[in-house]
Amino acid sequence: MAEFNASVKDQGDISIVYLKGFLDAHTAPVLENTISELIDKGKYRIVANFKELSYISSAGLGVFMAFIEKIRENNGDIKLSSMNDKVYNIFDLLGFPLLYEIFKTEDEAVKKF
Amino acid sequence: MSLNTLNLKKKIKIQLFVGVTLFLFVLKLFFTSNTSLPFIILNELLVFLIAFSFVLNFIDFIHSKNINALSLVMNVGILNAILFFLINFSSDLLTGVFGNISKRVSSPGIIFNFISFFYSFIVLSSVSYIFLALREFFFLKQKRDVKIYFNTMAIFFILASLSSVAAKYPELQFIKNTFFIISILLIIINSIRISWIAFLTKKEKLLLLFLSVVITVLFIVNLINSSEEAVHVQILKGFSSSLEQFTSIIMIYGVIYFSVIFFTTLFHIPTAEAFDRKAQEVSSLQYFSKLVTQVLDFNDLASTVTEIAIKAANGDSAWIALKDKEEGLKIIANKNIGLVDTLSLSKYLIEKAEKTKPGTATVISLEKYWKNAPPSRDVHQPEINYSFAVLSTLKAYNESVGYLIIVKKSDIIFDQEDITTLNTFSDYASIAIENSKLLKESIEKERLEKELDVAREIQKRILPEKNPVHDKLSIASVFIPAFEVGGDYYDFFEIDEQRMGFIIADVSGKGISAAFIMAELKGIFESLSGSCTRNSGKLQSFSSPKEILIQANAILRRTLERKNFVSAVYGIFDFQKEELHLARAGHCPILLLRDNLIENLRPTGLGLGLDFSDRFKESLDEIKINLKENDTIILYTDGITEAKNFQMQDFGDHYFEKILLESSDKDADEISSRVIREVTLFSQNISQHDDITLVILKWKDKKNDGVKEWQNSMHQLKTRAI
Repeated sequence: MAEFNASVKDQGDISIVYLKGFLDAHTAPVLENTISELIDKGKYRIVANFKELSYISSAGLGVFMAFIEKIRENNGDIKLSSMNDKVYNIFDLLGFPLLYEIFKTEDEAVKKF
Repeated sequence: MSLNTLNLKKKIKIQLFVGVTLFLFVLKLFFTSNTSLPFIILNELLVFLIAFSFVLNFIDFIHSKNINALSLVMNVGILNAILFFLINFSSDLLTGVFGNISKRVSSPGIIFNFISFFYSFIVLSSVSYIFLALREFFFLKQKRDVKIYFNTMAIFFILASLSSVAAKYPELQFIKNTFFIISILLIIINSIRISWIAFLTKKEKLLLLFLSVVITVLFIVNLINSSEEAVHVQILKGFSSSLEQFTSIIMIYGVIYFSVIFFTTLFHIPTAEAFDRKAQEVSSLQYFSKLVTQVLDFNDLASTVTEIAIKAANGDSAWIALKDKEEGLKIIANKNIGLVDTLSLSKYLIEKAEKTKPGTATVISLEKYWKNAPPSRDVHQPEINYSFAVLSTLKAYNESVGYLIIVKKSDIIFDQEDITTLNTFSDYASIAIENSKLLKESIEKERLEKELDVAREIQKRILPEKNPVHDKLSIASVFIPAFEVGGDYYDFFEIDEQRMGFIIADVSGKGISAAFIMAELKGIFESLSGSCTRNSGKLQSFSSPKEILIQANAILRRTLERKNFVSAVYGIFDFQKEELHLARAGHCPILLLRDNLIENLRPTGLGLGLDFSDRFKESLDEIKINLKENDTIILYTDGITEAKNFQMQDFGDHYFEKILLESSDKDADEISSRVIREVTLFSQNISQHDDITLVILKWKDKKNDGVKEWQNSMHQLKTRAI
């Protein structure tokens, strides 16, 4: 069915995670692994680029919640960028803009660190 | 005609045999000098009958004892030896006692008759038995129906034997000769049916080679000693000329058949070992294919694979090394070798094998392994010096998952045969690995389905059985669970006489974990909404939706995992003040349908469980709606707006609102069924991936609502009846 993949690109000490496809209860573990690998490597500055993500479900949102506490304890953050309107709406309904910084472009997110 | 088809009862066969024998015996004793033709014919027929009944009796004997080919060969040898003895005994001893035998035959006394009868009788039984044995050899391991060949030959034997009666008339000699020659030709043709030799083991072949030499020589000697003048022949002729003829035919048959056997066996000896191995391979492969489908325990099967692979590929030790994500290499089914040894050898071998040709079995010399291993190295070294190893890849779903490895001590390298065998075995092991994986998957799938059943059951019990009935409010609700249950929840709470609370919530994630959180929500909101207050009168109830959601968030902090959260809308209808108070914690917007317009209410608010600091409290907004006649409040979960059609398009907010507007003048039930009908139509043939919940609350003035209330209660009755 729907595919999802997450690729990581390092830019200085910031890791940019590119999300692609459908992020739901079935594909969430993929992103979970990606982020926990980054944390294992001590990379706490993460930008998630949503440009090619076409759908996110509640389980997908949960992935970000699962790690945010630990990341912020280590002076890091997850910043979100380049969401399409539909995905942004899902984040917005849940009040995520109150919890995460969401940017229009990846550059803006990177600069904020 | 087949001898087997003559299913006479055993008793009758014996009776026939004994009866005919006695009759002939009496005849021979008292009518010795009768040489008239009818008497001779009667004599020959009786002898034939005896031979026939003898064969009938012994065929049962051979079949009932299930005598194998080699013991039959042995029997033939013994009988030949007896014949050899008889022939020599007769020529020396009988001549000594009775003088010239040919004269004696024409004028015998009682004693001579007696002796000659027994002599002939022994020959008759021996020859019949040899004939039977030859018949058994003929049919051994024959795949096609070849009865006709043998039976034709047997008929010509009989014809040639019986026609020997005509020997007295030289002009009829040609009849006997013709039958005789045809018999010999048929013997030669039939003597090539010896495929049974191939199935003997090497040992048995060697024994057969020896026996066939001895038997062939005995047959030849007996045949040479049976010249016209020989005492043996004289006696037999005196008894029955056809028996004499039959005896020589059988001897010729024996000579031809056993010499063919001798040469064939001789040529089979060099390949006997290879044949043995192939036969073993075939039988072990058969055993495997049975095993693969029957044995579900992978380790059992792997153990058998290595055990037989050692034998088949002439190795000393074998094991299976599986690639494992956590351990790197997992050794199973190690035979004749310790686990530590296999680990150090495997690492070296797999590294080498992957450098060469991936995918096929590779032979690797272990010479370098011993050379390159410095003694000081801290790695454990196997005690046995293996010289060669052969590795074969195990595949599951076309991916290499490990290796079947066989090692040997001797310096003889693994040959192509060994490699082929090993490849076959690793194929079987691969199938077994795939099978065991499939089995695990299907067990997992079944477990998941059971889990979903439990989740659905939990959800069903938690949701309200029926909607509350109220004068000023008509309520419709629909809940459709998805296959992979989500965590949708809605409920109504009677806070006090004039207030009614309601909630709609969606737990993140799916399955049983979502269902459990949902069950927890039920408890939290029941108690917060004051259902308990009414019963105990002690607990304080929280009067505003905002307060209730703040409390719920605080309670959830204790139990909710970080990645889980809940979106919810909580509302309280005040019937007296005709007000609706609403707070939204991250849930889909609340739709208010009023005056043919849809208002999208999105008071701010974080989802429950996302944040446990003051931010939650600060973010949460509560709104108040002053209710007007026909105000319709629509609450839903994203299962509706995210319902997909076959093009994977969403049902969408826009379409949803359009349908609501179109049915704005309908009552709550009608609106809800219209929406559900549209969603179902939209997503036909597409499996529902999330729960669908829809709650419609329609405010109405008490005065003009006689009819509607009746309808509404009808609905309730219906629900109860269901």
